[in-house]
Amino acid sequence: MKKLLVLLLALAMVLPTISLAEGFDPAEFAGSTLNVYNWGEYVDMSVIRAFEKEYNVRVNYKTYESNEYLWLQLQSEDAWDVIVPSDYMIERLIAAGKLQPLDKSIVDNLDNLAEGVQNLPYDPDNTYSVPYFWQTVGIVYDTTKIDPEDMEAQGWNAFQNADYAGHAYMYDSSRDAFMIAEKSLGYSANTTDEEEIMAAYEWLRTMHQNLKPSYVTDEVIDSMAEGLKWMALVYSGDAAYILSENEDMAYCTPEQGTNLAVDAMVIPANAKNPKLANVFIKYMLEYDASEANSLEVGYTSANAEVLEALSGPGGDYEGNDAYLPRAGYEKDEMYVDLPAEWQSRQPDLWAKVMAE
Amino acid sequence: MKSFFRMSYPYLVWIALFIVAPMIMILLYATTRSSNGVITFSFTLDNFARFFSDPTFLKVLWTSLRIALITTVFCILIGYPAALFIANLPEKRQTFMILLLTLPMWINMLLKTYAWRGILMNFDLESEVKVFIGMVYDFLPYMIIQIHTAIAKLDRNLLIASYDLGANRWKTFLKVTLPLSVPGIISGITLVFLPAVSSFVIPKLLGGGNYVLIGNLIETYFLVAGDWNFGSAISLIMALIIIASMYLTKKLDRSTVEEG
Repeated sequence: MKKLLVLLLALAMVLPTISLAEGFDPAEFAGSTLNVYNWGEYVDMSVIRAFEKEYNVRVNYKTYESNEYLWLQLQSEDAWDVIVPSDYMIERLIAAGKLQPLDKSIVDNLDNLAEGVQNLPYDPDNTYSVPYFWQTVGIVYDTTKIDPEDMEAQGWNAFQNADYAGHAYMYDSSRDAFMIAEKSLGYSANTTDEEEIMAAYEWLRTMHQNLKPSYVTDEVIDSMAEGLKWMALVYSGDAAYILSENEDMAYCTPEQGTNLAVDAMVIPANAKNPKLANVFIKYMLEYDASEANSLEVGYTSANAEVLEALSGPGGDYEGNDAYLPRAGYEKDEMYVDLPAEWQSRQPDLWAKVMAE
Repeated sequence: MKSFFRMSYPYLVWIALFIVAPMIMILLYATTRSSNGVITFSFTLDNFARFFSDPTFLKVLWTSLRIALITTVFCILIGYPAALFIANLPEKRQTFMILLLTLPMWINMLLKTYAWRGILMNFDLESEVKVFIGMVYDFLPYMIIQIHTAIAKLDRNLLIASYDLGANRWKTFLKVTLPLSVPGIISGITLVFLPAVSSFVIPKLLGGGNYVLIGNLIETYFLVAGDWNFGSAISLIMALIIIASMYLTKKLDRSTVEEG
């Protein structure tokens, strides 16, 4: 009897170790729910359906439009299992203790990451985050209206060119607006110098007066694919889609430097189903899911093999300038989280630029 | 009577929780400075001063009021003849026409606006004209229904008496029908002007990003800048304008009723 008890105890101690070694048991999640909060138009829903089927779970999938909105949502009691903020917001979330470390015994496929998204400054060892998509900010323009040489020569200054008045879309995002102003003035996109930011503000006011742009968000994608205006500030992932829809369009990454941005999957500290969240993150980084997502939305995959297959010979984005972001250019910067004062002052100044 | 009054308790609780309490919070936010979460109220009128001292914000306020005003005027100009026409139909046809009129209201407003976007894209119109088309389309049914109700309940004998006394149709309309339908116009204005001032989705979608309205400003300060104090101040200014215009229309209503 005693022996049996010892044996049972020994078994009880060994068994969890066995399942831990494998990370998880695919059957253990049956019937549970995973709450995923992602950017709008940022996934191939069939990937989500396939995940639900494979693990017999339900994915409650919701979307948001900006990092700032996500931040405010996280202040309330709602618990999400997986969210996909951008670099600087991840930095802020880590500092605020709002994230939990990944379980690397489950997320064991970080080797899949493309070179451009390894060792990123906001989370160098991927303790908290796994890149999902990455991008630069650039200009999509109509080559039948603007000469490519002119565009490359002007870079961001095209946004002050009165010749294009009424023919431009400007993305309604204070951070990106200040970035292009600061880059064209030769400052850092992360400057907190009062004089530099006010100079950038004046630059944007000049843009508003000279260019008279339409301020838009995601509707810029379809509008430029239809060729409604000559130029637009867009994210490279959206640009890749626009270029694949309209062959007159080209993508310019200005020489003055731009923002390199990464959206990465993280697990909030108050997640209700963190284990399944880890499984989901691993799943999304695998080849099949990454490829399907990248094909569907046009953003640059964080998976090295997918990136190579899609941009290489015969790939769907072969020859598409916007799909493969410029990597390793010294004037390109990632955003860092601005001090609280500028977090509210930049949007304030930007609102005034647009309303003037 | 007393027992009936009791039935309103759930509604009173509802009002207290979802209307009065948020209004008090807006008032508190609008008259304080942001602090680091600790409850230390330092009352200030800075937020209001900031709004009224900046010509940009005043311009936004004016644009919002102007768009709402023009929308209301067009709704009356188009809605009145339509209501009059419907009111003169046989009763069964009237019900049918009102049903047709309310039919588009069953469809989500965003959906309708996107449809208009698709339609208007093919026309080379000023973006302001597009905004007015969308706004008038969306708010017109409210105006027509209000005016129609006022005209339909008008006592026919008054019209007969007017004809009897030798007035022609035009004079009868000017002296009898129009004055007696003013309450309908006024409640129509309330239903059109007030939501139109704070509407920002239609101008945003149809204006092609050329309009910043007061609703957009509030959205920016709450959701992007995270400046709830200033956002609340703008909301409060909006609320005051709405209350003032309701008071004015009420007053107009009473004076016409007294005249009648």
